[in-house]
This record gives sequence, structure tokens and C-alpha cells, in this order.
Amino acid sequence: MTKTVIQFVVLAVVLVLVQVVFNRIVLLGVAVPIVFIYLLMRLPVNLNTNWVLTIGFVTGLLVDIFGNTPGMNALACTVLAVLRMPVFNVYMPRENDMNTPIPSVDSMGVAAYFKYMSTLVLFYCVLIFMIQAFTTRDLLLTLARIGASTVLSVVLILGLDSLVSTRREKRL
Amino acid sequence: MNNLLNFFVKHSSWFVFIIYVIASCVLLFRDNPYQQSVYLTSANALSATVYEGMSTVTDYFHLKGINDDLQRRNALLEQELVAMRAEVTDLRLLLPDTAQMQPRLRQFDYVLAHVISNSIAQTNNYITINRGSADGVKPEMGVVDKNGVVGIVNVVGRHSARVISLLNPHMRLSCKLRGSEYFGSMVWDGKSPEMAVLEELPKHLQYAVGDTIVTSGYSAVFPEGIIVGTVEGRARDDSESFVSLKVRLTTNFSQLSTVRVMTNNLADELRELSASENVEQSAISTPKPREDKP
Repeated sequence: MTKTVIQFVVLAVVLVLVQVVFNRIVLLGVAVPIVFIYLLMRLPVNLNTNWVLTIGFVTGLLVDIFGNTPGMNALACTVLAVLRMPVFNVYMPRENDMNTPIPSVDSMGVAAYFKYMSTLVLFYCVLIFMIQAFTTRDLLLTLARIGASTVLSVVLILGLDSLVSTRREKRL
Repeated sequence: MNNLLNFFVKHSSWFVFIIYVIASCVLLFRDNPYQQSVYLTSANALSATVYEGMSTVTDYFHLKGINDDLQRRNALLEQELVAMRAEVTDLRLLLPDTAQMQPRLRQFDYVLAHVISNSIAQTNNYITINRGSADGVKPEMGVVDKNGVVGIVNVVGRHSARVISLLNPHMRLSCKLRGSEYFGSMVWDGKSPEMAVLEELPKHLQYAVGDTIVTSGYSAVFPEGIIVGTVEGRARDDSESFVSLKVRLTTNFSQLSTVRVMTNNLADELRELSASENVEQSAISTPKPREDKP
């Protein structure tokens, strides 16, 4: 239990720091890599919603503080924390099938995990870019940003996921 | 009571969610100028439409009164015009004169403004007035009130402007003793809202306590001779060749209400001139003269 908590804290710190660097990257003027929401996806499904909300808010706020965008990521992360369980339930109707409560390729299966992850990334990109734009003007540009950032972030998070998982398996 | 507690515990996630959303929205709107401007301008557009709709209706009720006023005023002016014409023709008959009056170009015009926010206790004090670019106010215009110099316009909005108060160490004002040509630069030392220091006066200057300090007119901001303060005594001496005077300011900064913004009709011309001067001077590599800019 303690080990899992420590692993999560380390993961959180690394993800936030990586995100601070990634926030400066804008590929082709549209695609922003967003990886720190991986932390929210990996939280155990039986964790109390209040904790998920708090962790989401705090990580979002940390990214905001480093990125000088107060409130934007915090708001999007809080909403994402609420959306997490409904999305999970769509792809995994029965929690009992899982051997561990932590969503991963092992516990959910490749297809369900991929769908779960990419849906959450899409939701987050929609949220953050709508908050950033704040108007329906230039809707095409916002949509391009959402699409490109979602694809880039999904690819990066898949890579990150393989890194984290193999390391864990070796340890176990 | 138990039911209430149960209710809170059962729906605690909702409350936590709402609290976090409110917190992030407060941060979002308080600290991000872009989101703030989008939000505020839409709010302003709404209220402006409401006010406009109201005034289109209510204006009609005042039309009769306005009409009466205009008629009366018109009649008065007509009478005056007739009387003047008669007078002019009489005078022409008495004193035939070929000299004609040329309308003289006025350098300074005034815009009346109300102070809507003011501070005297900070290190850097600023004043906000309710006139902006829509009323012809531009940055670097001088501001005076009935007692003396108040400050210089710094940032201009559509219907408001921020004025750098004389009580701000960033402001330097070129001043001189009335009746002499010795000038120095006035700066606030941050101690009292009633006192400032006139620096860089020549050592051999003759002065008496109570002498009046006026603007020197060496910049496009203020005309010559606007009262700034009176000499209170000698200030600390830190240089060999200059002397500093303590000045009691005539403007009462704690009770500012109506001020006048001085719009300089020749400002552009003067600025162009000094710009070309600077180019020439830098060409022969001499230092720029000190200006009254904040």
C-alpha cells in the first residue's frame, strides 16, 4: 500500500515536471503534448471520488503555477476527475473482472484500456482548449488544436505507459 | 440534523467538486487578463445596451423642457447679437481702423476631470481620473488642480486615465524659483505627502524661506509659471556643486476632486523637434538632456 502511494507521488512529481517542459512545445502551431493527466488515469478505481477530485485539482494547479496560467488546468483536471469513472464504466461494465484496481493494459485488456485512455485525453483536450479560447470565434483553429493535441498526447502517453509498466513488472 | 449530515456525507463529492470548480474559476478570471477581458466586455455590452434602451425611452420625456431652454437661450443670443452689431457699426463710424485682430493659437487647452481614485500613502502613488482617450486625453499630458501641479498622465483608457502623482519617486518635474532663472528638478522623497525636494540647484542660489517654486516650462508638459510649492528650507546636502531645497507643496493631495488635464496643442510639434535634436546630438555623442518624462 505504502509502496503504491510512494510510486504515485514519484510519478506525479515526474509528470508535472515533464509537463512544465512540454507546455512550451507546440508542434506545427497546433499540437500541445499533454501527459500529466496520465496520473489521473492510473488512480485506482476504488479510490474515493473526493480524493480523485483533490489530486486532480492539485496537479492541475501545480502545472498552472509553473505555466503561469492560473486556474485553467485546475478547472479542466477537476472536471476530468468527475468524468473518469463514467468513462471507465462505459468500457468496463464489471469491475470484478480486474485483478488489480489500477487501470492498466493488464487489468483491463488492450482494447478497453486504449479506449478509456484516449477518451479521457480527448475530453481533457476539449476542456483545456475551450477554456483557453473562451469564445466560439476561431472554432476551426480550436478544433484543430484539440484533434492534433489529442493524437500527440495519446501517442506519448502510450509510450510512457509502456515505460512505467515494464519497470513495475521487473520490480514485482 | 442527522439527516442533514447524512446528506452532506452522501453528496460530499458534489460539494468538493463545486468548491474546486469555484476555486479554479476565481483563479481563472482574477489572474488571466484575456479571459477577464472576454468576460467583462460581454458584461459591459449587455449593460450598455440596457442603458441605451432606457435612455431612448426616457429622453422623450425631457424634450419639452430642453426645447424651452433652447428657445430662451436662442432669444437671448439673438438680442445680444443685435446689440453687438449696433455697437460695432457705431464704433466703425467713430474710429475707422484698418488693424485686424488675428486669432492667436492657444498652446494649452483644458479638459476638466474628476478624480475617481487616489493614493498618498504608497511608495509609488497614482491617481485615476474619469476622462480618457475619448475626451482627448493622451499620455504625458500635465494635470493641475486649482492649487497647483498634480501630476502627469501615464496610461490612458477609453474613459479613464492613470496619472502619475507628484508623490511618486518616478516623476521628476523641472521647476524654478519664481523671478529667477535657476532651475532644478523636483522629486518626492517619499516621506510626507506635503513635502518634496527640489534638487540640482546651483550652489550660489539666493533664496528665502517662503519663496514660490513654479514650473520652468522647459518641457511640453506644463507651461511656465504654474505654482508647485513654497521653499521650506535647505534639504540634506550630498553633493559639492549642487544644493537641494525642501519644498512644501501647494496642492493638497489628500483632497483632490476636480482636476484639469492640460492638452498641449503643440505637443507633437515640440516632440518632433526634440526628437530631431536628439538625433543630431547623438551624432556628436553628447548625453541627452533630462526630460520631464516619468
